[in-house]
Amino acid sequence: MASFTLIEKIIKNHTNVSDNEIYSGNILWIDVDLVTARDYAGPQVIDLFQEHYSGSNTFNNEKIIFTPDCYPYGNDPKHAKDQEKIRVFAKEHNIEVTDLGSGIGSHLLFRRGFSKPGDIAFGADSHYNILGALGILGQGAGDVMLAFAMKTGKSWIKIPETIKVVLKGDYEWPTTAKDLALFVLKELHEYGITGKAVEFYGDIIDRLSIEERVTLCSLITEASGVIGFVAADQKTVDYYSNVGINIEKISADADANYVSELVIDIQDLGQYIACPPHPHNVKKIKEVIGTPIYSIVIGSCTNGSAADIHDAAIILKGQKINPNVRFGIVPATREDFVSINLVGDMTTILEAGGNFFGAGCSTCAKGQYGLTGGETAVTLTTGNRNTQGKIGPADVYLASPVVAAAAAIKGKIVFPEEVIKK
Amino acid sequence: MSEEEVRAIVKLVMVDDIDTDQIFHQSLLTIHDPEEIKPHIFGNLDGYENFGKEDNTGKIILVGKNFGKGSTRQQAVTGFLAHGIKAIIGESFGPIYYSNAVNSGLLLVEVPDISKFDVKENDKLEININQSIIVNLSNNSSIKCAKIPQPVLDIMKAGGLLKLGEKM
Repeated sequence: MASFTLIEKIIKNHTNVSDNEIYSGNILWIDVDLVTARDYAGPQVIDLFQEHYSGSNTFNNEKIIFTPDCYPYGNDPKHAKDQEKIRVFAKEHNIEVTDLGSGIGSHLLFRRGFSKPGDIAFGADSHYNILGALGILGQGAGDVMLAFAMKTGKSWIKIPETIKVVLKGDYEWPTTAKDLALFVLKELHEYGITGKAVEFYGDIIDRLSIEERVTLCSLITEASGVIGFVAADQKTVDYYSNVGINIEKISADADANYVSELVIDIQDLGQYIACPPHPHNVKKIKEVIGTPIYSIVIGSCTNGSAADIHDAAIILKGQKINPNVRFGIVPATREDFVSINLVGDMTTILEAGGNFFGAGCSTCAKGQYGLTGGETAVTLTTGNRNTQGKIGPADVYLASPVVAAAAAIKGKIVFPEEVIKK
Repeated sequence: MSEEEVRAIVKLVMVDDIDTDQIFHQSLLTIHDPEEIKPHIFGNLDGYENFGKEDNTGKIILVGKNFGKGSTRQQAVTGFLAHGIKAIIGESFGPIYYSNAVNSGLLLVEVPDISKFDVKENDKLEININQSIIVNLSNNSSIKCAKIPQPVLDIMKAGGLLKLGEKM
């Protein structure tokens, strides 16, 4: 019996090739379990489908979803028309739409059980690989691949080499999974993971919640990795059983073939921040202490969950946001919105002076770009991209919800301890 | 793409980690017409802002490592096709960008040792796909490139993935 890494195993299960076809570098046709598109790229996928496959049905309408999440306000008439095109096509082909206000498609896939561990899902979102946090092979794809996949149910994939990454040690709050993710990004970018998959191991992994695992896996894209996996364990099983879905655990074979093994020491990590102009320009927070910040956004598929917003609420309870700062919160999904309301975090943050915006992709897509605009609006977000000019003309920093909330109070980057009420 | 050899003069864009937002900025996402995309290519890349407005027809572009990292942005491929770019040679490419390019018929060539390649702006290059070698015809130096996988060549020879899908 051959032994496989997680990605090899999942790919193998979606082809009919023999074991000896499963090796890194080989390109295989695969059957996909789910194809999605959203209000960015979705309309072009529909155009391509209609142009090339006019009169055809999709391969399976129950394996396709549209998840408009980029432009929650349709803040340009073009967006409203694009979203309408999705609804009309979806109705015609009897395809489900998680419409505006539902939130980020990639999160809905696991929150609502559209995808389960061991599945392959393709969508027009370069952070679809966050699904690796639940043992799902999620991949971002362009318009062409998605139109093809909607017609044929197939896609192609180059089997990547897999690096085994062992995280050694532990850390304590106010250090959080985002600090871990940033530090790991810095290490993996230096190490070089372009075109490779990663599997995460270490005692810390057992401790991380599903949301924290998502945060960890969300920055693999920023080092041009294919995906970061956490094997689906009991925590994953329990997560799915909460939405009434039974799943099987899935993990790599014990003697799987890794291209290399990297041990990363995360003991007493402390807080990290990505500085302009690249996500991988990660520094210890102490190197940028005092940097003035004028615009702060908590959101994105990296850190937009109720747990992330709760981290910010802990810091902001009974405090006031600095008058120089515009502070926006964009929950990842409607479910997160409900959760923060139930536990009172929404009130806490509103009373501190924060502003809530509709669930969606926040500033990573153009739809909520306005939150950060302006030449002087030095921004700090909890997202995953700070490429120069991407979200506003001024500098952008990326950090945890804790660091973001502390900066919101002081109007500058500070150690969280400075604002935590004893 | 039908020929086994690609010859063209080279345009150097030797910057590492060029993100899709530097190739085609997200503020332009509602633009999809290739001719409208064309002038914006590299519009957010320091020092290359005018690329899109210049005549680069028929050239090969040489880039550094991690080219096209970032978003799933198909326009970041479409724009080069609109310019008639024959190929992009780089040390490595973002995985999604690689797949988007193949699917649309834009040739990407990986050269692990690209920093050792003796080449300057406007040199004439020849990419020999069968032999996995790139020759600089201007100074007769050459360098190995990664073998282009057969399924990739098949997709490109079919005229792109969508054409292939018409037969499936």
